Amino acid sequence: MRTDFTDLPSSFRDPSGFLFFKNQVLYRQVNKAYQKNYEHLMASGLYQSLTEANLLIPHEECDLPPAYPETAYKILKPEPILFVSYPYEWCFSQLKDAALTTLKIQKIAIEYQMSLKDASAYNIQFYKGKPVLIDTLSFEIIENWKPWVAYRQFCQHFLGPLLLMSYKDYRLNQLLRLFIDGIPLDLTSKLLPRSTRFRPGIITHIHAHALSQKYFSSKTVQVKEKRISRNSLLGLIDSLESNLKKLTIHSKRSEWANYYQETNYSPQGFEHKKQILKEFLNRLNPSGVWDLGANTGIFSRLASEREIPTLSFDIDPVAVEINYQECVSKNENYILPLVLDLTNPSPGVGWENKERMSLVERGPTDVVFALALLHHLAISNNLPFEKIASFLRKICQSLVIEFVPKSDSQVQRLLVTREDIFSDYTQPFFEKEFSGYFTIQEVVPIKDSERVLYLMQASHESN
Amino acid sequence: MRKSNKWATVLVLLILCSLFFPRLSFGYIDPGTGSYVIQLLIAAFVAISFGIKIFWKKIKIFLLKVFHKNKPAA
Repeated sequence: MRTDFTDLPSSFRDPSGFLFFKNQVLYRQVNKAYQKNYEHLMASGLYQSLTEANLLIPHEECDLPPAYPETAYKILKPEPILFVSYPYEWCFSQLKDAALTTLKIQKIAIEYQMSLKDASAYNIQFYKGKPVLIDTLSFEIIENWKPWVAYRQFCQHFLGPLLLMSYKDYRLNQLLRLFIDGIPLDLTSKLLPRSTRFRPGIITHIHAHALSQKYFSSKTVQVKEKRISRNSLLGLIDSLESNLKKLTIHSKRSEWANYYQETNYSPQGFEHKKQILKEFLNRLNPSGVWDLGANTGIFSRLASEREIPTLSFDIDPVAVEINYQECVSKNENYILPLVLDLTNPSPGVGWENKERMSLVERGPTDVVFALALLHHLAISNNLPFEKIASFLRKICQSLVIEFVPKSDSQVQRLLVTREDIFSDYTQPFFEKEFSGYFTIQEVVPIKDSERVLYLMQASHESN
Repeated sequence: MRKSNKWATVLVLLILCSLFFPRLSFGYIDPGTGSYVIQLLIAAFVAISFGIKIFWKKIKIFLLKVFHKNKPAA
């Protein structure tokens, strides 16, 4: 292998090819073993059909000498995904849209005599605001009409988690963080309420499916070739699709209408805060922004309106859901809402803890917004200012942070039920601790409020 | 044990289905024997319902076309 190539740690399962970096550009090697399938994908019109419908990531073939010439057939350069997100960071509708996209792709592929050989949620990424398949090598030619090889994976990665989110609790996709190949169906079956045992779609795809897996797990079956009809395969996809489309997260929509509209600002203060942020953005002219604690993304949109990739993180899946619904309804291309608990951010998981990257590994970004966040970290989670500054320094070049004083009603609310042990929670101490990691460039008090916005630049040397 | 009894009928169908069990494909992911069997069972049912669904869809499109043709121009 050539030493100037770096294989992607997550790209080792499929013998059809793999991803690698060269000079920080991502490439995909197509192996000779996949040649016939790749040629069919490109020549049949399937690739064109899927890329025109924004369902598959586009790529171009390139002349780069391969890292492994003995196995290489072609080298592809796919359109880069600027931020790779994972299903345990998505809200309900993001996972549902990713699932429906997978089925839509499978239906189109069948028209072209091909089928998805895997249905991993990790193969779907949000590209320009829409879910797309990023694994160009996921298709195989249908030689005989056989059962769908990726059916189990689809149920574990998509249907099971979505049923749990819909029927039990919308936070249950967090289980995907524990189970890298999707939530085991026996666990999904156990966790789902009894009422689901009267729903034919759930009985067959989950409960009976789990039972069947258990029954055959210890059996050695002598098997012979058995085909299914094209209509059977299409019917299976149709059944999965209609079951998925019915799913919602149970919550009174009316309650959501004013979600997070309550702020601690007067209309004048709120507008002033927006104005300051716009001025900071004009001055920084960033190439990307991470908004930490974004709620429904009001301030994230000041960045995404500049047509720069903007990640809008929040701990609350309902806030992320509302944010995503807005992205879909307004057809927004530059903002990606994601669920993130900053006190326990996504770790590196999978083989060698490298298959799925941690949050920090996916950074840094140009600018971080930490608006009305500091008091949650410092008071609700007892995090010293120094630790907060140290973490933020790792993930950005410029920091826009809001200091919320102890006298603020939101901070007082956090202190109602606990002893105030935060004698260091003062503006001078905040400035002192952050100065160890950042250079304070601007300090702007927000009108009609006690809060203060800071613009800071990462120091080259930190404590 | 009670739960197992509840699923006895399904299990019998699964066992019957296993008699027709296909040769496993040697893809890079394991489709799972149990998943293949249940899929065959589902496939048998959905093929009919999917066929009917497509048939009605075609009739609906046909009727809509006829209705649209007969509709006087505004």
